[in-house]
Amino acid sequence: MIHLEQLSYTYPDADRPALSAVTLDIAEGEFVLVAGASGAGKSTLLRCLNGLVPHFSGGALGGRINVAGYDPVAAGPHILSRVVGFVFQDPEAQFVLDQVEDEIAFALENAAVPPAEMRLRVEEVLHLLDLTALRDRSPEALSGGEKQRVAIAAALALRPRILMLDEPTSQLDPQSAEEVLHALVRLNQDLGLTVILVEQRLERVLPYIDRLIYLPTDAPVISGPPREVLRQIPLTPPLITLGKALGWEPLPLTIKEGRAFARQAALSAEVRVCPPDPGEEALRVDTLSFAYNGAAALNEVSLSVGDGELVALMGRNGSGKTTLLKCIVGLLRPGQGDVRLSGQSLKGQTTAEICRKVGYLPQTPDDLLFADTVADELSVTLRNHGLLGRPPIGVSDLLTRLGLEGQRTRYPRDLSVGQRQRVALGAITVTRPRLLLLDEPTRGLDYQAKRDLVRLLREWQAEGTAILLVTHDVELVAEAAERVVLLSGGQIVADATPQVLASSPLFAPQIARLFPSHRWLTVDDALSALCPEAPAPHET
Amino acid sequence: MLDARVWLLWALSLLLIASYARNPLYGIVLLLTTLVVGSVCAPDREGPRMPLSPLRFALIAIPLAALFNALTVRLGETVLLQLPTWLPLVGGPVTGEGLVFGATNGLILTVIFSSFAVFNRVIPVRDLIKLTPRAFHESGVVLSIALTFIPQTTRSLQRIREAQAVRGHRVRGLRDWLPIIVPLLVSGLERAIGLAEAMVARGYGAVADAGQPVRNQLFLALGLLALLGGWLGYLFMPAQRGIAAGFALAGAVLLVAVLWLAGRSTVHSVYRQRRWRVQDTLALGGCTLALAVALTQRGALYYAPYPRLAWPAFDPLIGLGLLGLLLPAFLPLDEEERL
Repeated sequence: MIHLEQLSYTYPDADRPALSAVTLDIAEGEFVLVAGASGAGKSTLLRCLNGLVPHFSGGALGGRINVAGYDPVAAGPHILSRVVGFVFQDPEAQFVLDQVEDEIAFALENAAVPPAEMRLRVEEVLHLLDLTALRDRSPEALSGGEKQRVAIAAALALRPRILMLDEPTSQLDPQSAEEVLHALVRLNQDLGLTVILVEQRLERVLPYIDRLIYLPTDAPVISGPPREVLRQIPLTPPLITLGKALGWEPLPLTIKEGRAFARQAALSAEVRVCPPDPGEEALRVDTLSFAYNGAAALNEVSLSVGDGELVALMGRNGSGKTTLLKCIVGLLRPGQGDVRLSGQSLKGQTTAEICRKVGYLPQTPDDLLFADTVADELSVTLRNHGLLGRPPIGVSDLLTRLGLEGQRTRYPRDLSVGQRQRVALGAITVTRPRLLLLDEPTRGLDYQAKRDLVRLLREWQAEGTAILLVTHDVELVAEAAERVVLLSGGQIVADATPQVLASSPLFAPQIARLFPSHRWLTVDDALSALCPEAPAPHET
Repeated sequence: MLDARVWLLWALSLLLIASYARNPLYGIVLLLTTLVVGSVCAPDREGPRMPLSPLRFALIAIPLAALFNALTVRLGETVLLQLPTWLPLVGGPVTGEGLVFGATNGLILTVIFSSFAVFNRVIPVRDLIKLTPRAFHESGVVLSIALTFIPQTTRSLQRIREAQAVRGHRVRGLRDWLPIIVPLLVSGLERAIGLAEAMVARGYGAVADAGQPVRNQLFLALGLLALLGGWLGYLFMPAQRGIAAGFALAGAVLLVAVLWLAGRSTVHSVYRQRRWRVQDTLALGGCTLALAVALTQRGALYYAPYPRLAWPAFDPLIGLGLLGLLLPAFLPLDEEERL
């Protein structure tokens, strides 16, 4: 179906190739996952397959590509659009029209498909992706998972034989991501559609795939059945890490496969549940309520975060997590209730005043970046607060801690996702806040960048910084949080140690699903209980 | 749903009538008409494309226009107060007549705004694309995308302002807009590139790649030349008006023909082809009636409060005629035909 031979590609003005000497074969009907650290060329590889590279991007391409008998370089993306459907990361950025049905028909209209045929095909994909009930809605108003399903339907309308998706679930909460993945699995199994998926969180996809392609930054591509490839690569989800460490054979890919091993391995070992020991109260939220134009978003929310404590705030999209953070920093004014910082009420203070003491990282860190260099980005914040003459923390020290000392004079927007996020983190922590509010900091990060972030948070915690973390990432919570607050419909439904996640059908991390009768959450928990002498698989 | 062309005529009729009407009573009739039609016909589309509701527009436009007119126009006998004459521009008497005339202008502006707001809300983007001539299909798509870009940009502006606010940023002077403008432009550009990629990957523009034949381009240039030359001749050479008009007409015919030819050669099909229906004819009739009344009774539509304020005349028959524009609100809306 797809055959690549010695494919190399260099973007215009880039000093090193994005892809070098990639040789690959993908058979018809395979479900393929493309993995690799960010910047390894995953998106570039997909774009080579439908001709967007080099037709859209320019640059120098070498080697041979064959996709279903076409040469994308010679034929161009227009011709390839009949063979390859493409779905992008941000569902919103790909919509043209304002009704689901029209959006799906758009590609057909442009391909001059006769109306009767068009009607049939639109109906077909609406059914395939379970969108019939949403046909007259505006894509803008749908949930994240629904939007992405519309995007898939629109890509399928031309009846391509290959469907390619570039991180389609990175912006979605776990439930919506599940919904999208199930749709893909059905398409692959029922229609025999070849699916090629780029995804950061391997654990979500591993159970379904036939082939795993790993793109290292500077080594030949590894491609093959998932078990074989997983043995050779560093990025591994908790289940695989544990399986490797305990020598489980064949390596389990699903929780179900893993449980068979777990039953034999599990002893009566109980994990330590260290009772959280919060320091002085850093943040106290008291019966806070907020409504958007009369629609209640937060209802009498009360919580506290101690000095040096990391509290995770979880809940589905729209449960009020971001609203709560905005109320704390004064971007939204709560209708009722009070926010206290180290005992002092924040009432009547401006956002600028509050943010000298509180660091708030918004969901899209790119929104912060505008300066010419990384160092400037930090000094702008200092200047805003009138602290330029007497910075509470040295700009160089902070950059070193963030691992950005080499990027000091670079243009922030040229950096990788993980680095850009650390620049944004620097821009909000240069005032040395005692409280950090982070809104989904791991979105779009690869395993390495995530590990770096956890290490950074640990360091700040050790210095007594209180951290309130909004996230969908259960594995992150299992690893880093002392306490979890679950928000649902604007109300707090749980406030407990992360062990509360173990029994939650929505939020349980992989290890908890594997050992349901124990209270383990992370690979380290399980390993230290099962074989205390084994070295930790990775340092965090 | 009515035909997009009927809606276009509806909006244009309102525009034309409003440009004649200075009688506040007819103005109110027109405004109410647009409001009723808007609330009945605009389906519950999520995310309105208009940032301002007509009523809010009225609250701003009417007082502003009244004030401006009252301060700058010296006509009228009902003097409300006397501003010192040494004041530049605004010095002199402020009259009730000026105030009323200004407010009427504000009302008419509101009518125009409101009719466009309704048009914008009732017409889905796909019908906007269909309103453009086939030869311009691609440009029509681009234009309609630009429309959907506006609310997205508004949202990112809000997001970026918040992001900058949490690092202590305050907008005091012009320079302080930099941290907001830069991310806004960059994110807009990134979104545009992403959308362009997505559209190409879905085969947009695939069949139109052939390009327009040279013959068409030549005829297009000739047509434009003839039209322009004829028009200039008509304006500046009174003796040869007949010939000039002929030239302009020939140019116009040539242009239409070229567009028609070019339209035939762009290949694309239409998903929801709808038939012309009785409701369309009725609504068309309503618009025509209102237009006919307005064009024949131009004098009656006009009202000037000067020199002395008097109650404006109101002819119920004219009012009734204008209500023809209300017809779209009363036509039964049946389930849309999809083919």
